[in-house]
Amino acid sequence: MLDGFRNNRELSILVVATLCCYLFLETQIDGAAFGGQGGFSSIDIIVISFFVSVIIAVIAVIAGVGGGVIFTPLLLAFTSFDTLLIRSTGLVVAMFSGLISTGPLMRKGLADIKLVLLGALPIIVGGMSGSFTAIHLAQQFGEKSDGIIRLLLGLMLLLIAALFIFKSGASDYPVLKKSENFSQRLKLRKTYWESSLSSYVSYRATNVKLSIFLFLLVGFTGGFFGLGGGWAAVPLLNLVMSIPIKVATGTSGVLLALGNAAAIWPYINVGALIGIIAAPWMLGQVIGGLIGASLLTALKASVVRALLITILFGSSLKLVARGIESLTGVEIPVL
Amino acid sequence: MIYGQTIYWLTLLSSCLVLLGTIISFLEKDSPIPANQLLQSVIDGKSVDQIWHGIGLSAAPDMFFFLANPSFGESITMIGIGIGVSSVIPATFFSAYFLKKSRNPVFAVLAVMAGLLTCFAVSGITL
Repeated sequence: MLDGFRNNRELSILVVATLCCYLFLETQIDGAAFGGQGGFSSIDIIVISFFVSVIIAVIAVIAGVGGGVIFTPLLLAFTSFDTLLIRSTGLVVAMFSGLISTGPLMRKGLADIKLVLLGALPIIVGGMSGSFTAIHLAQQFGEKSDGIIRLLLGLMLLLIAALFIFKSGASDYPVLKKSENFSQRLKLRKTYWESSLSSYVSYRATNVKLSIFLFLLVGFTGGFFGLGGGWAAVPLLNLVMSIPIKVATGTSGVLLALGNAAAIWPYINVGALIGIIAAPWMLGQVIGGLIGASLLTALKASVVRALLITILFGSSLKLVARGIESLTGVEIPVL
Repeated sequence: MIYGQTIYWLTLLSSCLVLLGTIISFLEKDSPIPANQLLQSVIDGKSVDQIWHGIGLSAAPDMFFFLANPSFGESITMIGIGIGVSSVIPATFFSAYFLKKSRNPVFAVLAVMAGLLTCFAVSGITL
């Protein structure tokens, strides 16, 4: 695990500086002066947020999803924070692990720039539409929109969890099929070095036009719910476009970092992203993403996926219950 | 390569500013964006509008507000996040240049469009 940090001196400095910063806040600042809840001061909550973010990033990297699909449902289900605030921070969470890994992934040839740019435009358009819709809904319906969002997200999470259970058989190296004319004209084919096989692997993208439409939908749900979209982008690239799973995972991270960059600005421009709250989550993603990448070979992916599915199911049940409670006033004792 | 390296270094810069802004937020006194009020309002579940009105701002601040007041901890943090989030813009324009040079004009155009759309999002213009 230390190799990743040994080879990146600047990242090691960032890790040490971050840990020193939070140690300083915990030991030298009077937490009581900054409020809190349930026996924890605000500073405790900030520091806990950082470590939870690191864990989320580790799970997300190994499971091959973005951190947003874990972060946003967890906080919507189990905290009373404003939903716009959670969703905007969720986009930050979804972005930053992808941002920091963009350089290493492109150097290793595991992120295809053509696929990134092909998917980026529909994701940007969809993401911005989703963000504007979310903000408009909150401004029009106020607190009632929180209940609608929780209920809708809870139902969607059940679908996502089901997707992971029934479509867990990702194709490591999809069989090369004859690609359509559109894909051939765009030259969406590449060869990369697969270190586990000690050989080159070639691939050709298929179903390109369908994928562009699906990327639009992924962008919309990502911007609307603050999920990012990694949970959908990887299966889309691998199962629909026939991209090898490693390249699909690498490309997804880079693609969503680009796609979500536009989706987050509508939230920033209405003050729905608060820096002091987003900061520990962002730093946790940067550092946790590195740790996750280092642990990728050490931990069993199946164990991590089982943990992810458990988190998704738990969050979805709680979200649906809270959504119904908020809209109907009926109390549902779940989790 | 240029795409990845641009984003990598800007993300590191962003992280450093966020860290600095966090420390300053907790150390500064008499800030118009006091960290204790901000944190407690969020924990109490207030809406975004309620949070900013409670602090005494007539309107929720956007990035231009933070750029105009760069000495506050929250401003430094938000500027840091803004740099990180915007790191894709120069990266896409650099990529467009190299994609055109390597005879991939379609993807060069896509890169420029992606960069311009993101600039549009940053500007805060709404349709």
